[in-house]
Amino acid sequence: MTACVRTSFDGGVARIELARPEVRNAISLVMIGELRAAIGAVAERAASSPESVRVTILQGEGSVFCAGMDLKAVANDPVAMGQMLRDLSRALLELRRLPMPTIARVQGAAVGGGCGLAVVCDFAVTHAEAKLGYPEVDLGVCPAVVAPWLMRRIGAGPARAMLLMGGTITGREALARGLVTHCVEAAELPAQVASLAASLASGGRLALECTKRLLNELDGSLDERIADEAAELSARVIAGTEAQARISARIGSKPPARSH
Amino acid sequence: MTDPAPLRWTDPGPDRSLILTLASNSTRNALSKELFAALEVGVSQAEAAAREDRIDAVLLRAEGRAFCAGFDLAESAAEGRTLVEFVERLSALVRRLRDLDAIVVASVQGPALAGGCALVAAADIVIASMSATFGYPVHRIGVSPAVSLPTLLASAGIGGARLLALGGEMVTAERALALGIVHRVVPDEHTLRVEEVATLAGLAAKGRVALRETKRWLNRVDGTSRHGALGSRSDEAARATADLCAGEEARSMLAAVWAARHGAPRA
Repeated sequence: MTACVRTSFDGGVARIELARPEVRNAISLVMIGELRAAIGAVAERAASSPESVRVTILQGEGSVFCAGMDLKAVANDPVAMGQMLRDLSRALLELRRLPMPTIARVQGAAVGGGCGLAVVCDFAVTHAEAKLGYPEVDLGVCPAVVAPWLMRRIGAGPARAMLLMGGTITGREALARGLVTHCVEAAELPAQVASLAASLASGGRLALECTKRLLNELDGSLDERIADEAAELSARVIAGTEAQARISARIGSKPPARSH
Repeated sequence: MTDPAPLRWTDPGPDRSLILTLASNSTRNALSKELFAALEVGVSQAEAAAREDRIDAVLLRAEGRAFCAGFDLAESAAEGRTLVEFVERLSALVRRLRDLDAIVVASVQGPALAGGCALVAAADIVIASMSATFGYPVHRIGVSPAVSLPTLLASAGIGGARLLALGGEMVTAERALALGIVHRVVPDEHTLRVEEVATLAGLAAKGRVALRETKRWLNRVDGTSRHGALGSRSDEAARATADLCAGEEARSMLAAVWAARHGAPRA
């Protein structure tokens, strides 16, 4: 079976690539497991040879960065959906904990959990026409896992309004609202990300690590209790009748039979 | 002077929302004893409807050129105890709007001043026309906007809350958007009415359980829930402000402001 996530190291840059372009890099249970392993591998490498990983780029193969959770793959299986949410919550925490600066390279779309991945990185670079956002409530799903990260990124008030209104916004709007840090020409995206990475890699490594560690401590990023509570809440809501009916309607399957 | 009904509300329709309209044009929707009482009934209706799962959203809107001019100074200046009472009633309304198991949308044209801004800061989603202004210019009357601080700190952040709560400056809709207390700005009042309908329709299309659980979770994470880091200080903030209002500084400053505008306080 081919890998869903690829990791490479080159010239001080670690690249983690979501590699299921045929499903717009939708996050499956297998993929999230591989993503966590990839993040772990980057962390290990950074621990043993810090100079070899000065910056990490998270990217997606194909036309779309990440379309969100692959609900189709776990249709009618609320238990598996819950497990995906728990794994996603852990992955976000682990990604945030990486000691070096991280950049999300967002082409096409970053939706739901995919937007969660982009927002948890220290930098997110996109283009004007990209589609970003959290349509969870449209599907009857509670965006509890991504909420704390969005709050830390854009502030609690704007995050509240955005998560309750659902839907998606353009890359241009995402820049205005602070979801992403850079918005560039689509054709320039890889080059701009490479140039940002080079600039970060040339900075003082210890200074960047120290700054990032303090930011993480001060903004509550390392709060595991919130991350775990969020996963449990999301898992509970996604297993409910409302979410299951809406998800089934969206992906065109029958909702699971319920015993209560 | 007073309008026939200072607050109107509609029964929840198919869009599962309750609309509260401040309609005291002659006083610029100033929070008077009468308007407080009406708002308390309106919020009770909303609480009952939410409990019975009849609504997903509450829209707080206003008629006329002002959203809300803050406390009714005529009533506040007339009797010392009234200001204290107003602070307590405002604090309770803010608390109840944040705790409400329905999404609170505020729609603002014209000034949302002091107590009016506190109602806005308690909402989950704020839409505004370009004519809207926001602020707490209350140190002029020796009062603190403390009852608004828990929700203001959450929505505007540490720097924004200081600017608004200490500076006393009124800010434009666009500045309020940048500060995080407004979430969508439209050009004029006509477009604002269209936006109100669209926002309610948008919320009605979401999963009900998802909306309710998400609001509760947001309250939990940003600390504005009743037991949260910010929300649990609500009562303390109200008491501190009430003490301030009962003090000599507030009473003499309010009387001076009132006298400068209207002559001696109304008996």
